Amino acid sequence: MNHRSLAFRLAVWYALLLSATFALVGIGMFYGLDQYLRANLRDSLRRRSLQVEQILQQAPAALSDSAIAEAINTRVSPEFNNRFVRVTRAPATPVYRSGEPADRSFDSAAVPPPDVPWPASALVRQIDTAAGPLLVSITPMASASGRYLIELGTALGPVEAVQRRLLGLLGLLLPVLVACAAGGGYLLVNWSWRPVERMSQTAEQISVQDLDARLPVVATGDALQRLSISLNLMLARLRDSMHTSRRFLADASHELRTPLTVIKGELQQLVADPGARSEERERIGSVLEEVARLEHLVAGLLVLSRLDAGDARREWCDVNLGELAASTAEQMHLVADDRGVRLQASALAPVTIRGDAGRLKQVIVNLLDNAIKFTPRGGTVTVRTEALDGNGMLEVRDSGIGIPADSLPHVFDRFYRVDAARSRDEGGAGLGLSIVRSICSAHGVEIEIDSIVGSGTRFRLSFPLPAVRQGST
Amino acid sequence: MRLLIVEDDRKLAEFVARGLRAEHFSVDIAGDGIEGQQYLDSYQYDLLILDLMLPKLSGSELLRHARRGDSTLPVLVLTARDATEDKVTQFEAGADDYLTKPFDFAELLVRVKALLRRTPVARTDVLRVADLELNRLTQQVRRGSQRIELTAKEYALLEYLMSSAGRVFSRTMILEHVWDQSFEGVTNIVDVYVRYLRRKIDEPFPVELIHTVRGVGYCIRE
Repeated sequence: MNHRSLAFRLAVWYALLLSATFALVGIGMFYGLDQYLRANLRDSLRRRSLQVEQILQQAPAALSDSAIAEAINTRVSPEFNNRFVRVTRAPATPVYRSGEPADRSFDSAAVPPPDVPWPASALVRQIDTAAGPLLVSITPMASASGRYLIELGTALGPVEAVQRRLLGLLGLLLPVLVACAAGGGYLLVNWSWRPVERMSQTAEQISVQDLDARLPVVATGDALQRLSISLNLMLARLRDSMHTSRRFLADASHELRTPLTVIKGELQQLVADPGARSEERERIGSVLEEVARLEHLVAGLLVLSRLDAGDARREWCDVNLGELAASTAEQMHLVADDRGVRLQASALAPVTIRGDAGRLKQVIVNLLDNAIKFTPRGGTVTVRTEALDGNGMLEVRDSGIGIPADSLPHVFDRFYRVDAARSRDEGGAGLGLSIVRSICSAHGVEIEIDSIVGSGTRFRLSFPLPAVRQGST
Repeated sequence: MRLLIVEDDRKLAEFVARGLRAEHFSVDIAGDGIEGQQYLDSYQYDLLILDLMLPKLSGSELLRHARRGDSTLPVLVLTARDATEDKVTQFEAGADDYLTKPFDFAELLVRVKALLRRTPVARTDVLRVADLELNRLTQQVRRGSQRIELTAKEYALLEYLMSSAGRVFSRTMILEHVWDQSFEGVTNIVDVYVRYLRRKIDEPFPVELIHTVRGVGYCIRE
């Protein structure tokens, strides 16, 4: 489970909020019930107490204590009702005390005398006994036969039992309810998230090559639907502007070709003129060198615009990557020697992939050329191929000057130069690696670069092997 | 020999015409498809140089028209597009050869001459420039009495240069003939190989044969 996901966080919030709500409700219920039950008990104690009072009031002055007890036993029957009754005549003569209650919830003989010796008015006290707390109503009264103190009590046990049951019920229900709500919330959020999930899956598959694809529109009639529609509109605009820029690139590189032919042709004829002075020849030659650079540039742009148009997907066949790398390295050998760089083509395992052999050769040439250019005299450039984890792997490694980390994401950008002054001297147009990337993306190749400034750079290309990309051509 | 150039870019047409006239061809220039058609209908030409993108009547239509009139007329197509499919369409439409802009005039001249000859000339087995000798049968190179060992690429480069001694070959031409297009615009591979070649055939000897024409390329001559 993703702990940062919206669904998870929402579920946690649900759970916390619900727990707090349930806890408040639980506490409210617990105390409300406590109050209600105690009030009920108090009322019932008072009623009984009143009965005892009436007996004492009505009793003639000469009535004996045992007659009073008899009357209380008959009219109130405390044992049967699980009540505690004690009647004391002032100053401290015990008149009556009830026996063991039927439910044995307290021991009437062990109930201590009231802590207030002779209260002025009726009051209710909670008295703790060995068997448990008792709620006792203490009522003073006066009659013809003297002043009496009536104590009438009952065990609080049943009330506490109800409270315990309530607590138990809440303790059981609360976690279950919270868990249900949080889980349900998590599932609900995930479920309502699904259209977004589908949209992002589709969006991830849309590359610059197929901007014609569209996201699924979710018919929810809310912000989500609007989001999918506006994303699709944005894709359409993106496609149009891509088309425009590609069109422009292609047109510009085409349009430059005719004037370039004329400039080059005229200048070459001037150079060839036997009457020209050698100083003029030198100058024209220098202009011609610039023309050649322009020519390379235009050719590079044209290659890129053709790759953009999907040109590299036409002539595919089985290509032995190892052989291709070996023969290309062989052809580049002298160029490396010339710069005092050792070019090693080692461990060239035969890896067969599908692709456009000419274009793939261009990839290897560009990578090797780049590596040789930025490796100082005495350094080494190594090219390697192998089959790895179901992928064909091509690696070009150099012991060159390296690429600073902040430049790494840009090395494939058109016209990007890590160090403008230096690489222009090398005659690079800044398109070589862009061409590499374009060809690679047309072949479904993933490129990985590692570089350490001062110790070298490694380009790793992973080619999907034919078995993996069956069904697509 | 009479040639027709149909090309809407006046300057390009004139520079090509000037070069061809210097080689003793007689050259007419038409600036659009309709004009080209009129020239073709009025005169007999030995070769047609045709730009595909023309105003009024497209190059392909003109090509079909020309083929209906004279099916043997050699046609060299100039194009600013060099995608493979374009080449295929051009050949289907009846072009004999094509050149992609920007081209070298030297290359155009080679193609024009090849098209006019039509039948391949008997290949000379031994090429000679001064005391340098290249034998195509034995693939041996000697200068004076000394035999020179060359690598395959060095041999191919020398053979290409010697195939037309005295002509200046541009780096692009050399690259396309001796290597392939993968190397275009990337390396100074041609310069490196020429340098190695010079070490073997020029430096040990008093007279240099391989000459650099700055900004253009290389040529081999006495």
